[in-house]
Amino acid sequence: MKNLRKVLQSAGAVLAVMGMATAAQAAGEVNILTWEGYADDSFIKPFEEATGCKVSATYVGSNDDFAPKLAAGGGVYDLVSPSIDSTKALIEAGFIDPADMSRLPRYEEIYEKFRTAEGINHDGKVYGVPFSWGSIPFMYRTDKFETPPTSLNILWDPALEGKISLWDDKSAIYVASRVIGNHNIYDLSDEELEAAKAKLIEQKPLVRKYWATAGELVDLYAAGEVWISNTWGGYQSALLAEQNIPVQEFIPEEGAEGWMDSWLIVKGTPNEDCVYEFINMATTEEGQCGMSNVNGYSSANPVAAKNCMSEEQFKALHQDDVDYLDSLLLWTNLRDRLEHYTNTWNAVKAAN
Amino acid sequence: MSAIVEIQNVTKTYGGKVTAVDDLSLAVEEGEFVTLLGPSGCGKTTTLRMIAGFEIPTRGRIMLAGEDVTDLPPYHRQVNTVFQDYALFPHMTIQENVGYGLRVAGVPKSEVGPKVKDALVRVGLLDKAADRPAMLSGGQKQRVALARALVRQPKVLLLDEPLSALDAKLREAMQVEIKHLHEQLGLTFVFVTHDQREALVMSDRVVVMDQGKIVQSGTPSELYDQPASAYVADFIGNSNKLRGRVVDIQGRQVRVKVLGTEVSGLARQNGISVGDLVLMTVRPEKVQLLVEEEEAGSASLLSGTVLDNLFHGSTCRMEIDMGEGEPFVVDLQLRTALDQANLAAPGSRVRLAIDPATVSVFPDDGAFAS
Amino acid sequence: MRETTRRQLTATAIVSAPLMWTLVFLFIPYLVMFTYSFYLKKFPTFVPAFEFVNYLTIISDPQYYQVLLRTAKIALTVAVCSFLIAYPLTYFLVFKVKSARLRSILYMAVIVPLWVSYLLRAYTWKTILGNEGILNSFLVWSGILSQPTDIFLYNQFSMVVTLTYIFVPFMVMPLYASLEKIPRSMIEASKDLGVGPLRTFWHVTLPLSMPGVIAGATFTICLTFGDFVAPFLVGGPNGAMIATIIQSQFGAALNWPLGAALSIIMLIIVLTIISVSDRLERAGRIDLN
Repeated sequence: MKNLRKVLQSAGAVLAVMGMATAAQAAGEVNILTWEGYADDSFIKPFEEATGCKVSATYVGSNDDFAPKLAAGGGVYDLVSPSIDSTKALIEAGFIDPADMSRLPRYEEIYEKFRTAEGINHDGKVYGVPFSWGSIPFMYRTDKFETPPTSLNILWDPALEGKISLWDDKSAIYVASRVIGNHNIYDLSDEELEAAKAKLIEQKPLVRKYWATAGELVDLYAAGEVWISNTWGGYQSALLAEQNIPVQEFIPEEGAEGWMDSWLIVKGTPNEDCVYEFINMATTEEGQCGMSNVNGYSSANPVAAKNCMSEEQFKALHQDDVDYLDSLLLWTNLRDRLEHYTNTWNAVKAAN
Repeated sequence: MSAIVEIQNVTKTYGGKVTAVDDLSLAVEEGEFVTLLGPSGCGKTTTLRMIAGFEIPTRGRIMLAGEDVTDLPPYHRQVNTVFQDYALFPHMTIQENVGYGLRVAGVPKSEVGPKVKDALVRVGLLDKAADRPAMLSGGQKQRVALARALVRQPKVLLLDEPLSALDAKLREAMQVEIKHLHEQLGLTFVFVTHDQREALVMSDRVVVMDQGKIVQSGTPSELYDQPASAYVADFIGNSNKLRGRVVDIQGRQVRVKVLGTEVSGLARQNGISVGDLVLMTVRPEKVQLLVEEEEAGSASLLSGTVLDNLFHGSTCRMEIDMGEGEPFVVDLQLRTALDQANLAAPGSRVRLAIDPATVSVFPDDGAFAS
Repeated sequence: MRETTRRQLTATAIVSAPLMWTLVFLFIPYLVMFTYSFYLKKFPTFVPAFEFVNYLTIISDPQYYQVLLRTAKIALTVAVCSFLIAYPLTYFLVFKVKSARLRSILYMAVIVPLWVSYLLRAYTWKTILGNEGILNSFLVWSGILSQPTDIFLYNQFSMVVTLTYIFVPFMVMPLYASLEKIPRSMIEASKDLGVGPLRTFWHVTLPLSMPGVIAGATFTICLTFGDFVAPFLVGGPNGAMIATIIQSQFGAALNWPLGAALSIIMLIIVLTIISVSDRLERAGRIDLN
């Protein structure tokens, strides 16, 4: 195993030398483990042609998929794009290499709030390059509500029995805690978790289904099963708009969670050149607007976004609104509290 | 005596194509032991199954004790069947098997017990009452099947080749046992078999069937001594066959030119005229071997060369070359040691005397050309 | 190398290949799983240990037996429903369909859906049972309901319907085999002894087909026990089954030791079911000759 790694490293070195020799054409490959919209042909194809780096993408359905895939053994992926609450575990588990800042010339353009996020900084080194962000707002069928909902309390309204959905994720605990009034949602004590659990069990008879994938939620709305739920801001609402289902996103009074995805380099990657080529592409105009156009998420690099977005799009994605960004409860790694959150959520689902 | 089973012009066809039973009529007298005999596919089992109610006749009626049962399902007929594979219920004990019909019919337990016990005593299996069928031998299973069928006191007992799965020795023992059972119970038995010896041993009357029709019906000795057709003569027992042309007919006495001489016999069928080609059959034990210059009397005389002597214990089968055709077979009783010592050795010439009364003559339709 | 030695080696290779396969892909993973179940969860992943903490958690935290109980309840219901559907169907195929050709065509029609993707078949039920699904549309159209009801989908009812539909062939196959094996003379003998068709079925046919019933029930129960797709697709808020929880321990919670312990417990349950059913089948196995 060690020998193999050595061979791979030296192979990487040889490739690096070759890469320098033909600077424009860093012929090679980059294997990424990411979300489906993050490797869209609209910006990947031009990248491959320009750099000669062949991109092979494998998709995850959830943040929970990164760690098991990396834990199962190395040498398969070069780059991963977990959300900010899942990065720390990967870094501390030793799955990730720190980034060589000298090879990321435009890093400083990224929002400061992201650059300084605890989840990607470790031992004074930077382990992740922020790429995209958004909120977990709520969404409702405009044709089913006379007055637009504003508070999360509506999710406990018996009048909506059978029309409510929540993300099948620990996020449900964040929601319940905010309703109870516990706004320290990433640092809940055991008692506060119990309170959230009770609140969620109380809600169960009203819930039609806990949604697990983006497509599932879209189907639930399209089939008229669900009228209100949380959502991945910008993404599902756009898909529903295409089907002419009238939905509207809103940030509830109790606030919304925010999320941010970064690119992390898998430890010992043999494809360093293509990896950096890819990150630089992804976090500048080509990749930032490519990502925003495909997914409807906001860009992490406002400078690049400004260059490639229309004025309307720039505004719609809150790229100019730092207050909005600050109002979001940015996901945080739960560290050893994670299992308590997960078990609390499982206990809710197990309850009859 | 009155007919307990009456089959009236019954035809059974399958899918409108295969005719298993063809316009068959048969009456079985009360207390009679009747055997349906024939090769496989002759319709004997189908006939039995129509009496039992497992098959519905395509045409014709079936009467049981004067009642038309043609359309009655098997569970409403007062007949019981002993199946070829015994069909014992594997998930029940022997006594549960025997008492099954009574129990399910709602006969009180206090009555079922003694009846089952009686039936098991009768077949000598009381000690196996609590066993499962899988633990019994073939003969024992056969007895259980008998007990199970008899315990309901049927009007007629139907037996569908019940002994075919047993080995020779056991089969003979069971033949006797079933025959005794019949005598003790005075019940009507309808027995189906393809084994002509079994049929001869057991039955009051044998009904020979071929291609869905009755060929001949009669007592075992009638069938044996006076076969109504070459088919019956061939199917029942062994026969020597001779072919020749009729030279003279006096009433039923027919004289036939065969093997360079003339042999006389009795016509078993009508319509034989002088000049016809006929088939003559004669039983091996009815042929007499003449000693030295002994006179043949009224008997026909043939001669040939001994091919072989096959020792059968109480008899010896002598094969004789007649110069043409199949070798002639003669069964000789060996009563004394002297008889055996005096047997003509292979290669020696012998003369055979055949009593015309033992020779059956049939029109030669070529059925048994060999 | 001498010819005999070579032949022996070939024979050994042929025999040992499946053995090796079983060892490498079955026993070793189980062993790894068993080892993990004693490890300890420690952020960010887990550390090797030999502790019974995970098993204690499963015993002490009510969520696990709640889910196990729910899974068992659904598995049993699926087995009973499969039996109620499969038995009349198979009985009809074996005893009532006279043409062997038609029989094998109908049998294949029952079995062939197994070749269609599980997901697709489960998904079909969403379009039937949903709020705007076929069933609701029909009920509203026919005037039985004034408004579509949501009682058909996203609950344990829809899970049982879907799982029953998917697993019915696993009930039909052993039933077909065991019904076909019953000699017709058994049934004739019963009727011959004066017993009508209904009671003949009850006293003879049904008991003799029990091995098939037991095998079918074992299949459906064990398959349901390990299912996590039906809860995901058509299960409601109360749809989580044991496999769902195991999946979440390996994924979301990143708690492989607990997931492994749960897997081992599930394995024990399934093996127990199989060995009990094997025993029942043996006890009820009947030499039909």
